Amino acid sequence: MTELLEAENEAAALEFLHAERCTDGLPVIIPTVPRVDRMVLASGVDGDLSLGSMGPGGGAATIRAIAVNTVMAGCRPDDMPIVVAAITAMLQPEFDLGEMQGTTHSTAPLMIVNGPMRDACGVASGFGALGPGHRANASIGRAVRLCMINIGMARPGESDMALLGHGGKFTYCLAEDEESSPWEPLHTTFGYDAEESVVTIIGAEPPHSVVFQNDADDATSPARLLKSLGATLANLGSNNAHFRCGMQTVILNPEHATVLADAGMSRADVQAKLLEYSVNPHDRLAELNPIFVRPDDDGDIRAVRQAEDVVVLVAGGSGLYSHVLPSWAAGMHRNVAVHARIETDLACEIPGLTPNPLSSLSASGQGPSE
Amino acid sequence: MALRGKPTVALVTTQFWEQGNFVAEARGMPTLPRHQLPHPVAGTGHGSMAELAREIAPQLIATLRQESTPIAA
Repeated sequence: MTELLEAENEAAALEFLHAERCTDGLPVIIPTVPRVDRMVLASGVDGDLSLGSMGPGGGAATIRAIAVNTVMAGCRPDDMPIVVAAITAMLQPEFDLGEMQGTTHSTAPLMIVNGPMRDACGVASGFGALGPGHRANASIGRAVRLCMINIGMARPGESDMALLGHGGKFTYCLAEDEESSPWEPLHTTFGYDAEESVVTIIGAEPPHSVVFQNDADDATSPARLLKSLGATLANLGSNNAHFRCGMQTVILNPEHATVLADAGMSRADVQAKLLEYSVNPHDRLAELNPIFVRPDDDGDIRAVRQAEDVVVLVAGGSGLYSHVLPSWAAGMHRNVAVHARIETDLACEIPGLTPNPLSSLSASGQGPSE
Repeated sequence: MALRGKPTVALVTTQFWEQGNFVAEARGMPTLPRHQLPHPVAGTGHGSMAELAREIAPQLIATLRQESTPIAA
């Protein structure tokens, strides 16, 4: 992965990287030695440090290898700690990354950034946060995907067996809108302090839109919203409905989150109600996929095993739509969310060599340069 | 199982043959015996699957009898 390649010029290097299937199909920044060195420096740790082997190919996820892909994705050095944290999280055995990369299901790791690094790197959490137009979201998520391609060796039809895939397999990164959320930041529910920066990763399908119009004169409004979300969590085409497991993601827009909070609900209350409402009649499941029916099945079948398996966060613009992101629900651990602290205090300035890359966290937005 | 020294043969359909080769190589078992099946097998009906099983069973048994050496990881 970190073998030094030579090319006549950057255009030739780009064509070589495309030909070797080292890209996601889009042009990349050429990972020259100075660019990669600067990215390694931004991590604050030794380039030879390996975070582990990445499946399915088993490549060593060294800091330098991660830096190569982070440069290729168009990230700024400031973004490097987020990418490192994401890879650290994904390499936890509970994430089943190797198996996830090889599945025929259309799952992709969704990255959720919390804490001060959201603002420092400009990770968007509002309108279109999972769409185009946000540099940090686009490039950080892309860096993770390029690592999965070049370190994990996931290649379509060969080792990444997704039958169709989805746009989130290019990049799938957003921040939680902590300022608009009526609840504590997501990462504090995993035991982190609010002042820490954390990336949470969960395998996810594309977002499924859930339409809901609030009516302040209708006392049943909060329940209607929760039932709409529950029905989508239990959608009859999903793995979750038939396998009855797998953590799923609910992204509430600020308006919808406020409807629930104004009804006196905490995040935990919302999770408990979503568990209650994400059910399907046994007969309906048996009608559609009898092979997954169990002999002792009866009554209503939950698509969620426990309330904590619904990851609830606030993001996006306010309006009619919130989103549910169903999941693969397979692998040994059945689609577990993982998380890691974003280490921002490891880099140090080397007098006379280079400025501390992390000293300009809200800097210019210029791309990698030599 | 192969890593534990158990005689093993992997059944891989045509659609996943390349992936099977990749995984075997990545796991350090490039010589792991693999038997190619048509695709799909799942969902083709009990009769069809039973016929396929009868057809390949002798080959699988022969492979298992020949391959009893543990494959180094």
